[in-house]
Amino acid sequence: MQGFSYSEIDDKVLGTLAAPGKVYYVCLAFCFTGVLIGASCWGYQIATGLGAAGVMHPVNWGTYLVNFVFWVGIAHSGTLISAILYLFKAPWRTPLARSAEAMTVFAVSTAGLFPLIHLGRVWIVYWILPYPNQRNLWPNFQSPLVFDVIAISTYLIVSFLFWYTGLVPDLAIVRDRARGIRRRIYGWLSLGWTGSDRQWNHHGSAYLLFAALATPLVISVHSVVSWDFALGIAPGWHSTIFAPYFVAGAIHSGLAMVITLLIPLRRILGLEEILTMKIFDNVAKTIVFTGLIMGYSYLTEFFISWYSGNIAERAIFEWRATGHYALLFWMMVMCNSLAPLVFFLKWARTHIAPLLTISVLINLGMWYERYIIILSSPGHEFDPYSWGLFIGPTWVEYGIMLGSFSLFFFLFLLFAKFLPSVSMSELKEELPPPMRGQSV
Amino acid sequence: MIDLGRRDFLKLIGVAGASATFGCSSESARTIIPYVFPAEEIIPGEANWFATTCRECPAGCGLLAKNRDSRVIKIEGNPLHPVNAGRVCPRGQSALHGLYNPDRWRGPAKRSGDGQFAAISWQDAEKVLSDTVQRLSKAGKGDQIAFMTGLLTGTHKDLLEYWLNQAGASRHLMYEALSYEPLRAANRTVFGRDAIPAYRIDKADFLVSFGAGFLETWLSNVHYAAQFAKFRNAGGDARNAFVYIGPRLSMTAANADLWIPVEPGKEYLVALGMLRLIVHRELCPIPYDRLAALRRIVEAFPLDQVMAATGVEPAVMERLAARFAAARNPLALAEGSGCSGANATQAAVAANLLCSIKDRLYETHDFSMHAALGDSAPAGAIMDLTRRMDRGEIELLLVHEVNPVFTLPASWNFRRSLEKVPMVVSFSSCLDETTAMAHLVLPAHTPLESWGDYSPATGIVGLIQPVMGNLFDTRDFGDILISSGKRMSGQEKFPWVNFYQLLRENWAQRWQAGNSQQSFDQFWLQALQTGGSWDPEKTRGSGFSIQIPGDFSFPPPEAPAAQDQEFHFTAYPSIQFYDGRMANRPWIQELPDPMTQTTWGGWIEIHPQTADRLKIEKGDLLELRSPFGALRAPALPIYTVPPRTLAMPLGQGHTHYGRYASGLPANPMELFPADAAPPASGMAGRSFRVTVKKTGETFAIAHTDGSFFQHDRQIARQISYDGLQQAAASGHKPAIDYPLPMGYEADKDFYPAHTHKDYRWAMVVDLDRCIGCGACVIACYAENNVAVVGREQVINGREMSWIRVQRYFDRNKPVARWLVMMCQHCDAAPCESVCPIFAPQHSVEGLNNQVYNRCFGTRFCSQNDPYKVRRFNWFTFTRPYPLNIQLNPDVTVRQKGVMEKCSFCVQRIVEAKIEARKKGRKVMDGDFTTACAQTCPTDALMFGSLLDPDSRVSQLINHPRAYQVLRHLNTKPAVIYLKRITQEV
Repeated sequence: MQGFSYSEIDDKVLGTLAAPGKVYYVCLAFCFTGVLIGASCWGYQIATGLGAAGVMHPVNWGTYLVNFVFWVGIAHSGTLISAILYLFKAPWRTPLARSAEAMTVFAVSTAGLFPLIHLGRVWIVYWILPYPNQRNLWPNFQSPLVFDVIAISTYLIVSFLFWYTGLVPDLAIVRDRARGIRRRIYGWLSLGWTGSDRQWNHHGSAYLLFAALATPLVISVHSVVSWDFALGIAPGWHSTIFAPYFVAGAIHSGLAMVITLLIPLRRILGLEEILTMKIFDNVAKTIVFTGLIMGYSYLTEFFISWYSGNIAERAIFEWRATGHYALLFWMMVMCNSLAPLVFFLKWARTHIAPLLTISVLINLGMWYERYIIILSSPGHEFDPYSWGLFIGPTWVEYGIMLGSFSLFFFLFLLFAKFLPSVSMSELKEELPPPMRGQSV
Repeated sequence: MIDLGRRDFLKLIGVAGASATFGCSSESARTIIPYVFPAEEIIPGEANWFATTCRECPAGCGLLAKNRDSRVIKIEGNPLHPVNAGRVCPRGQSALHGLYNPDRWRGPAKRSGDGQFAAISWQDAEKVLSDTVQRLSKAGKGDQIAFMTGLLTGTHKDLLEYWLNQAGASRHLMYEALSYEPLRAANRTVFGRDAIPAYRIDKADFLVSFGAGFLETWLSNVHYAAQFAKFRNAGGDARNAFVYIGPRLSMTAANADLWIPVEPGKEYLVALGMLRLIVHRELCPIPYDRLAALRRIVEAFPLDQVMAATGVEPAVMERLAARFAAARNPLALAEGSGCSGANATQAAVAANLLCSIKDRLYETHDFSMHAALGDSAPAGAIMDLTRRMDRGEIELLLVHEVNPVFTLPASWNFRRSLEKVPMVVSFSSCLDETTAMAHLVLPAHTPLESWGDYSPATGIVGLIQPVMGNLFDTRDFGDILISSGKRMSGQEKFPWVNFYQLLRENWAQRWQAGNSQQSFDQFWLQALQTGGSWDPEKTRGSGFSIQIPGDFSFPPPEAPAAQDQEFHFTAYPSIQFYDGRMANRPWIQELPDPMTQTTWGGWIEIHPQTADRLKIEKGDLLELRSPFGALRAPALPIYTVPPRTLAMPLGQGHTHYGRYASGLPANPMELFPADAAPPASGMAGRSFRVTVKKTGETFAIAHTDGSFFQHDRQIARQISYDGLQQAAASGHKPAIDYPLPMGYEADKDFYPAHTHKDYRWAMVVDLDRCIGCGACVIACYAENNVAVVGREQVINGREMSWIRVQRYFDRNKPVARWLVMMCQHCDAAPCESVCPIFAPQHSVEGLNNQVYNRCFGTRFCSQNDPYKVRRFNWFTFTRPYPLNIQLNPDVTVRQKGVMEKCSFCVQRIVEAKIEARKKGRKVMDGDFTTACAQTCPTDALMFGSLLDPDSRVSQLINHPRAYQVLRHLNTKPAVIYLKRITQEV
């Protein structure tokens, strides 16, 4: 960004808000169709009952919760880029931070839909909220699902505020250049930003505060998500390793997702100089570390199940590795723990093709991991009479999955056209301050 | 909404009203008038109970029908009845699905020119019938009229024969597919009695069954199940042993201490082998008059040949013979049904010969009571009728609730012969394969809507009374006979207003013969209230002469053939389907088979090793071919059959039996030969082999079990009899986490104990008494409005049953056992803590209540439920009219998205508490029980409060056999299991 002037930055970024071309509309239409398909599938499921999905007795939880955990993981990758790198003052973060924050908000929103989709009677979901009512009925604070509601909504609120705080100065820039109704809307959204020193001061501390808040939330949210399982009694779930294991997994998949997203972005936005191979090299080194943690976790799970002498625990891990899910299980091990080892080679860390391949593999592997964890344990519990296999995914589940991806990209496309997708104010911070006599 | 007209509705109300006036009785429909002012006795919401008699099989159990607001909603056993003492099997309970079957005839119908049935009026229908009969009887063709009915006794039978007589006919065949004719033949041969006696299993101290499934379908299964429980728990210092010899590990076999697999048709050889050992080694004193004859018979059966032919180990045979000889009252039973294998008569004769070594066999064979089944038509008579039909010698065939087209072997060509009968009239209430070929249908009431009487055995007469008004435009079978008789022969020959009057007249004779002090009305009322007439104090057991037959010949032992491609074949009647008449009942289809845990559709049992060898997988559609026919059914590799035998259940494979039965595979009767020459071995005499071919297609097996085995989880436990004696002697206390405050310990419990108010409900399940029959499951479906989900959803694992009889095989031995699993009502319930909105709630009486209205369906409770007893409503399951009439109004019908589970019949608890409060006291042990425990034929389930120290559950919770399933999870279950007792024979 060196060599740009303030106004050039404004011009360039605000240029992205101009009337879109045909391609944009086509993409938007596709995404909207996907959202409609997902919504119709959900509507169909509400009308017929959850039997429309592949869940059954004893595997009561299916792909909806897999996707829930998956999207929460995606959200973490956004937080990783924007908040954690902000705290670490990584310089290459700036052009990406806004999109990453938006990604977090949209991914958490998408993730938050899945527990609703997964409900048998979604129309009374508000009962889970601790709202005053005449019967003095409260939610059950023992239940991990109540933790979940609190954790996810906290995460959504904090990441939204983080994103919005960063947006305020930029919204003011948009407001200043906009006319008519747009000006009123952006004026309302920019909360009367004038760019005064006091405002900048507050803005800076608030942004730092939210960055500092969002970072531990990665840990707490995924710990709580893991407790949905770990606090249950099912063998293969009921384990103290779950919280760190899930967090490590989230960071693992988050980092991989960062690479997966950055490589095309780098190409599209022409950020080769800013997103240097050095950065990828560092991320890949971290992935080696998280991959080793994953491998260690897998081994620990197996060791502890053997060491505990608990028949049901032993059986579930033996079954995961040799039973119905064996293929997925070994693919998961390959993708999550073995594939990242390739990053021990410097060549792999510094070339696009291996970076992209392995990061995609890790994302796939993490999806499998959640699939295996969520679907295998309840299917192979204490009483062999009640063993069973998930019967999906059904077309309804595929439709809703498509809908969730469509919703995510739909929101992202809207975001790209209605909000500045790169933080103008932060870019300007990196420019040398304008001096008298320079052309402004 | 139900499609009831105003008049029908008033009639229904009227029935209830009239009956309420008489307490536990009902008046005939003839006097029904609507109430202008409601009678004081009708209390909305309170049930009236009507005693009647079960006609679902020839056993004739006494029933109590629960009538709520003029609709029958549940069937329970009549506790006063001598046959079943308050218990009913799954079939009896499913009588409601016969009554409320959506495929019933709505009114009379006549086949029109295009082959379809068209509705006609009763008047026209009766006119067609009586005109035909009149025409034939005037032409002197009375012998060309034949009437086939199920087993009838008493007034119905008398009337029917009188009716036939008036028509100049006499051909009345009481056809029962399971007629146990070989038993009669064997009793005639050995005991000189052409009858089926009342067997007294409870009087025996050693029991050998040669294929007799007396816990499933044999003669009177509820009766014998109760006797078996007594036999097992006789007390004393030794435990009575039961050995089962037969081709298949059936439900009855799994209850034995030892199952000895033999090829079908070779059971008699084992019996003769035992007899030879006893006779030759003089293991016990044998009455002198029989000894020589017995010696002569066993001469032709050297032990080595017998053992080679049957594959029974010499040591086993010796132990069996020694135990049999040493017992005081040993009892040998034979199935006496040709479909299970060849040589059924031989096996029955051999079993009788075995019994004859003891002098006191009259204690176990009570010939003073003949089973009515002995009166059913012999196979030879049915064969004769078939031939006559084929020759065109039958002009008119009348059928009532029998389905020979389905239940006779296809090779008999009954269907083809029936096509040659110019006029077939059916009185059956449902379309079935036989009725589908009728020209005229005059649908009779189902037994629950009818008047009548039935005597299952000498000295026991059960009354049949309508337990609600009729649903459809059908008529009492007796009324049809009387009114058509009037048309046919005039009023003076049939002077009765209706069948009810005739029935009362008949019973008036009984009253006169009884010389009782009561007036007839009192007598009648009492009979209606108690369900019939019997004398419980009647002395039983009379001596009879034994004549060892000189001329009876047993086939010589044959060594097993070593052909790889051919298999032995056995077909068996199952506790659900009997001979197939149950197949259109959704409860019955959904009830997992006790051994295979399979629902909806038949299967071919094949040993897993054999299946591996032939590369056959579960659900592969196989073609089974015998010399007499072929069929297609899915394979089920399972440990119930030896490697060289295939087995199939009877009763499936219907083509015209309503929406629930039709189109499911397959009817094994397709495979049987047409032999019936008396003295027949029932329907099939010859032994035959079948070949197996894979068709390449599949038909998924809708089974409910996740695994054959326990995988060392110690869920269904057992203890050896010796071990139990030692434990009892040493004062061993079982390790139980009491579901009470005393069960909590600070070092292992995070949350404090629950305190209970007045009661802590709990259940004890005695696995030693449980026979696996599934009566509890059906009782639960009926009581708690549990949905039937159908084959597809069972395959998907979405069945809804609240209580399961889980079957486990042992890995190393051919042994199966059951565990009745329902909600354990844990004191520290894992499901309660994970629900975000408190839908599962721990009540002050210890119940784990599921609040349906509160549930929004996260299903976390089911995920966290180690017993896997919670059921989720994946859809809003519905019931087609009129099945919905059966719903229990005391229990919510759940909608989609809601979790449900066993409530310990909370509605019964509430009712009992209200009753107790009316009496100003607390509920006492035995005041009431849950639906499952109520119907259990062997009393394996016991319900009560743990806060009452004298209750049965409180006493049994510390029994040396007591344990809790998955106790290590510290859930503190309130269902306490008692280990099954095993012993070596």
